Amino acid sequence: MRSVLFAILVGLVGAALLHIVIILALPQFTGKDAYSRVLGLYEMDSFFPLGNEPGPTGLANEDPFLRGAVCGFSVNGGPVRFLAKGAVPFWSLSVHDADSNEIFSMNDQTAVNGNLDLVMATPIQLVDLRKTPPESLAQSIMVEMPDEEGYAVLRALAPTDSFEEPVRNFLAESSCEPFRR
Amino acid sequence: MFRIPLLVALALSVAFGVGIVSTVSALKATVGFGAIALGPWVAFPDAQTKNTDPYAKAHRARAGKLLYGGAEGLPFTAATDSTGQKLSSGCSYDIVGVTPPARFWTLYATGANDQPMMVDPALPGASNAWTVLRQPDSSFVIHVSAVAQPDNWLAIRDIGAFKLVLTLLDTPTAGSSGLIDLTMPKIVKTGCPDA
Repeated sequence: MRSVLFAILVGLVGAALLHIVIILALPQFTGKDAYSRVLGLYEMDSFFPLGNEPGPTGLANEDPFLRGAVCGFSVNGGPVRFLAKGAVPFWSLSVHDADSNEIFSMNDQTAVNGNLDLVMATPIQLVDLRKTPPESLAQSIMVEMPDEEGYAVLRALAPTDSFEEPVRNFLAESSCEPFRR
Repeated sequence: MFRIPLLVALALSVAFGVGIVSTVSALKATVGFGAIALGPWVAFPDAQTKNTDPYAKAHRARAGKLLYGGAEGLPFTAATDSTGQKLSSGCSYDIVGVTPPARFWTLYATGANDQPMMVDPALPGASNAWTVLRQPDSSFVIHVSAVAQPDNWLAIRDIGAFKLVLTLLDTPTAGSSGLIDLTMPKIVKTGCPDA
């Protein structure tokens, strides 16, 4: 009887260890995390507009009034520039790294003239950009990217149906491209 | 003769059974630590950051949702009414009051699995700060019900348990240090016609 109790006790200790191991290791192997789903769209370096129904990788607009677009990017080959402009009541952008940690987020009120113009670059690329700033980046916000890869989510608000078209155009004309001098 | 292998099997089955069940239920039960709860409304302002706890990281890796950044918005979820009873789509509820300061807010219902509820597109399945009808003091009353209601109606389907999601866009609530008096609307049950 005592050995059965001992076996259960050992089992519970093992269960606690297993619990901790699964929780800590889960982010590495789910394959369902947001970055994997963005990569699964096979659309690098451009904003992919999300539908209202779950797409091939299960990404969808969850909020009925917010239309989203995602872009997977890498600053390995050079800085990446995000551009968008248009008359929508509200837009917001968040940039996440490959582990889905937020690096930077902004909305139309924190942007220059209400237009999105953001450059993500590695620290070395940033030093280079600041030493000889290109004319076209005079208004850009420059942010340091700690890792090489990540994804960006651009959301625009359509409070009523009449805003659907400007919002669709806003997302369709947004860009997420490697910056070349 | 089989005592030792039996004990080893017992220990292993307890370890794997309890370990896996406890992990899955912990990930289902909550998004992690660091919640701010205002009445029935719960939000996780740090769930998308690097400094969040391992449970939140495991949860977001498993759910794979596109979380809101700090400057974007903060979604509050309510699974209970203001008295603490679970929301049931067989009942009708009133959402009464005002939201914390935000540039915009949206309100919609989800099923128990956190997926947006598929309501007939002809019915008002969602509400927002522009379309809601307000009282003279700018507070609002929204009737949540599966049957049609006058004034502000949030249509739901009768699917059992459901949740309400109120997203505040561009809000100082996420970084609030308690200097702003945060009041979320109350969720009051008005009746259960089917019960």
